[in-house]
Amino acid sequence: MKKFLFGCLVLAALAATGPAGPAGAQGPIKIGVMAPVTGDWASEGQDMVRVVEILAAEVNAAGGVNGVPVVVEVADDSGTPKTAALAAQKLLTSQVVAVVGTYGSSVTEASQDIYDEGGVVQVATGSTKISLSGKGLPRFFRTCPRDDEQGRVLANNVKELGYKRAALVHDNTSYAKGLADEARAIFKEVGVEEVYFDAINPQDRDFTVSLTKIKAANPDVIVFTGYYPQAGLMLRQKRDLGFDVPMIGGDATNNTALIENAGREAAAGYLFVSPPALADMKTESADRLMLTYQEKYDAQPGSVWAVLAGDAFLVLVEAVRAVGPDSDKMAEWLKTGLNNYQGLSGTISFDEHGDRIGEVYRLYKVSDEGEFVMQ
Amino acid sequence: MLDFDFFLQQLSNGLTRGSIYALIALGYTMVYGVMKLINFAHGELFTLGAYFGYALLVTRGIGASLGPPLAIGVTMIMVVGLTALAGHLLERVAYRPLRHSDRLAAVVSALGASIFLQNAIMLKWGAQYRAYGADLLPNVVFHIGGFNLPLVRVLVFVMAVAVMACLHLFIHRTRLGLAVRAAAIDQGAAKLMGIDVRRVIAVVFIIGPALGGLAGLLVGLYYGQINFNMGQLYGLKAFTAAIIGGIGNITGAMVGGMLLGLLEALGEGYVSSSWKDALTFVVLIMILVVRPTGLLPERVAEKL
Amino acid sequence: MSAAIPQDGGRAGTLALTAAGVVVFAFAPMILRAAVGGTAPYWIDVLNTVGLYTMLALSLNVILGHAGMFHMGHAAFFAVGAYTTAILNLTFGWSIISTMPAAALAAGLLAAVVAWPIIHLRGDYLLIVTIGIVEIVRIALTNDVFGLTGGPNGLVGIARPKIFGFPVVRPQHFFYFIWTMVALSVLLFHWLENSRFGRALKFIKEDTLAAENIGVNTTGHKLMAFVVGAAWAGVAGTIFASRMRTISPESFNFSESVLLFTIVILGGKGNQKGVILGSFLVMGLPELFRSFQDKRLLVFGAALVVMMIFRPEGLLPSRASRFRLPAPWKERYGGGSPPAGRPGADGGGTGGHDAAGGNLAAGVNDAGGGNLAPGGDDAGGGAA
Repeated sequence: MKKFLFGCLVLAALAATGPAGPAGAQGPIKIGVMAPVTGDWASEGQDMVRVVEILAAEVNAAGGVNGVPVVVEVADDSGTPKTAALAAQKLLTSQVVAVVGTYGSSVTEASQDIYDEGGVVQVATGSTKISLSGKGLPRFFRTCPRDDEQGRVLANNVKELGYKRAALVHDNTSYAKGLADEARAIFKEVGVEEVYFDAINPQDRDFTVSLTKIKAANPDVIVFTGYYPQAGLMLRQKRDLGFDVPMIGGDATNNTALIENAGREAAAGYLFVSPPALADMKTESADRLMLTYQEKYDAQPGSVWAVLAGDAFLVLVEAVRAVGPDSDKMAEWLKTGLNNYQGLSGTISFDEHGDRIGEVYRLYKVSDEGEFVMQ
Repeated sequence: MLDFDFFLQQLSNGLTRGSIYALIALGYTMVYGVMKLINFAHGELFTLGAYFGYALLVTRGIGASLGPPLAIGVTMIMVVGLTALAGHLLERVAYRPLRHSDRLAAVVSALGASIFLQNAIMLKWGAQYRAYGADLLPNVVFHIGGFNLPLVRVLVFVMAVAVMACLHLFIHRTRLGLAVRAAAIDQGAAKLMGIDVRRVIAVVFIIGPALGGLAGLLVGLYYGQINFNMGQLYGLKAFTAAIIGGIGNITGAMVGGMLLGLLEALGEGYVSSSWKDALTFVVLIMILVVRPTGLLPERVAEKL
Repeated sequence: MSAAIPQDGGRAGTLALTAAGVVVFAFAPMILRAAVGGTAPYWIDVLNTVGLYTMLALSLNVILGHAGMFHMGHAAFFAVGAYTTAILNLTFGWSIISTMPAAALAAGLLAAVVAWPIIHLRGDYLLIVTIGIVEIVRIALTNDVFGLTGGPNGLVGIARPKIFGFPVVRPQHFFYFIWTMVALSVLLFHWLENSRFGRALKFIKEDTLAAENIGVNTTGHKLMAFVVGAAWAGVAGTIFASRMRTISPESFNFSESVLLFTIVILGGKGNQKGVILGSFLVMGLPELFRSFQDKRLLVFGAALVVMMIFRPEGLLPSRASRFRLPAPWKERYGGGSPPAGRPGADGGGTGGHDAAGGNLAAGVNDAGGGNLAPGGDDAGGGAA
């Protein structure tokens, strides 16, 4: 019995390796997707892969790129830098011309050099950390905006809504801390007083202690820069504490699960800034994606980041279509040749650092019915 | 600004968290007491309990069809039963074959089981955070001066204390409980006294996971939000609680759990939430330096 | 600490095998290229990761395997080494290689300071305290302690190492760098194990009370083992930092420590070959299982349980006695109980499993696997 089981294990291992397949120059165009398919951010990663696979099927159904089919190669980065380095190496050796991904900034950071040295175009999709671009990596792009832009939009909205005393809460992740720091700096410029600044631990479920402390600081708005699961819990626990103060957040809270987690009543009135949700993108391709995704998975992509992965895939396809599968030419073309391309999330162009050009942030408010309403 | 109301608030926060930690810690400590095994997959059994509750209340929708009080009662019984079953299976598959081996072998097997269960939960129920829905429990909040006390919080605390009291009675007033205690002190001698140690192990592997599963359900009901890897942090904290109390000691697990909850809440309230977990561990280390086997240690020295 | 290690006569075969292994490894990148073609750089990088974790696991083995201390916080010292290198390189412009001793020193120093009060704790209590240490270190790094660690962003732009002017950049460069360090670790710890110090450790692990009674300084020896292991983890941190070029607190969390712990126990604590094999399996299998996509960790978890059930004392358990003992002593204690206790049903007839283990490793690396699991060579010895 034991031997049999062990045999199965060995077979499974061998089956998993598969043939090493020679990478022919005339074969299909391979585009990699590096995403956290397992680990803490698995839901984001799985959505990224689904969206890209749907779009790839569409492209292939329409005859591929210049008659050549596109193949999507997925590599799991588990949301950790260490695994990302291997995933990047894996994609490089699979002869991909370009890579979509990934979600977390520090994870992207760990893979940037590898892709650069391997001569592959990388289009990050959720990595908003400012310093990722401007390192002089000619083949790095991202379809998501940067933290400083979001910080500015967030802080300005707080100001415009007339709040004077802000409590800033982040969760000590690279993303949320960065955003909180940006907002903090702008608050100083525009004259919003910061009455509280601390982190919560995103793995906790009980934020009543922090909320009680925030309450004692008497702010007129809570600015939370972390992610939706914690935002949902905070909204709910805030209501339970009878602490009636508005809360505003960043794009990581743009996930419909927020409403389920907080409950409609507690979530009503919550504000956040974010690139437009899939339903508000109002582009033809976005509507089509919504339909196909719904049909296939009986749901909608949980967040906007998966959609931005779709955008990354689409601009890469456009680049191959324009200049062929040559990473240097593609990178050059993305910077100079791609002008206001109609992607899922609106028009896309890149600046010389590979950052996306244009204002993408919108202010959203949760309605009493529990819907995200663009303001 | 940080007045007495604030202190009361943190106290109640701490006791709620502590109740959950204590329930989970009991599972660690019971299994450890009898088998000298740190069941690293216990955190995943806790998660499993939360997801069983989710499957019944939300997916099957019995919350809507039966009405909240009855639905929660039924769910509680089912969840306890199902996690107990899962715990039993886990013991059969991953630990029983290793009963006569090095204890560290069982630890690694437990770690493997934990990875397996966590990913199984992810594949079955998805990687997203899942919500229980906010309308299952009545939203009643008592206001006492400047101090707010949601009813749910009282219920969680009362529930946990009641369960622990029952467990205490079971261990100290029943024959089976006596057998558990005997096996915890010396398996060999217990065997000689005619105690069916295998049965005792089966029993602790039913009660422990059942309590963990119940804690999972309570987290789901109280916080309303669950995800596939939540067992990691809760497991680690509860294990810490069990150690603080003196692992293998059932009262110790309860005391340790409550203490840890209070420690966290006060640390977060009066120092900083970014440092609170570090602070907790510093206190843990200090406790162990002074009392190397926890606050209420096992009766007999562990055989190394 | 050169190759002059005293060997039993019967181990000449092993020596030859080792030599063959070294040759195979020296040419591994070329062999891999011939075997798997274009994907070779990826597999080389997998081997690099395996190598790095082998180093770490070997250093943990001193603490866990030889001294018998349940230490589940090794990532803390790994982190301190990596951050020391990063800070010295980024802020003060030190070259990577010159930061290596500093990394070892910093990690060793931290180990000495934190281990001092806790070294006397029993098994599982020590386990949770070491977990606590790794959490404290991670939280301190995240909170940008002393304004040096870059907070949650970590540190970016660490230089690549240069060895005698030769820049180590590509996977195959790192392959030679890392595996040379692994070889060095093997020699160092082999020497340590067979030194007076190592024998004292073994004695302490088998019977602390007896060791104390005949005048062995048990606390001192345990502390020393802890410091040595931690310092070497610091060295591994240097390599990690310069290979990744970017480090952040999340790379050094509790689960990293668990991974290392698993490697040592799975491989066979106390046995270097076992630890190396363990690294191949624990770091290699998730890579092999990549085609399972989101199920790959599920399969990995199940594989861990199965392997442990098959080989409860680790894949290659440490031998009961490796020292040349005076004859009468040997008669009484010679083949006696290995530290792991009852060999159980698994003592004999395990050749088949071993071969299977070899195959698994061979999957990771056609070249290296075979020599790492030299068949029943060690397996039989466990249960005499």
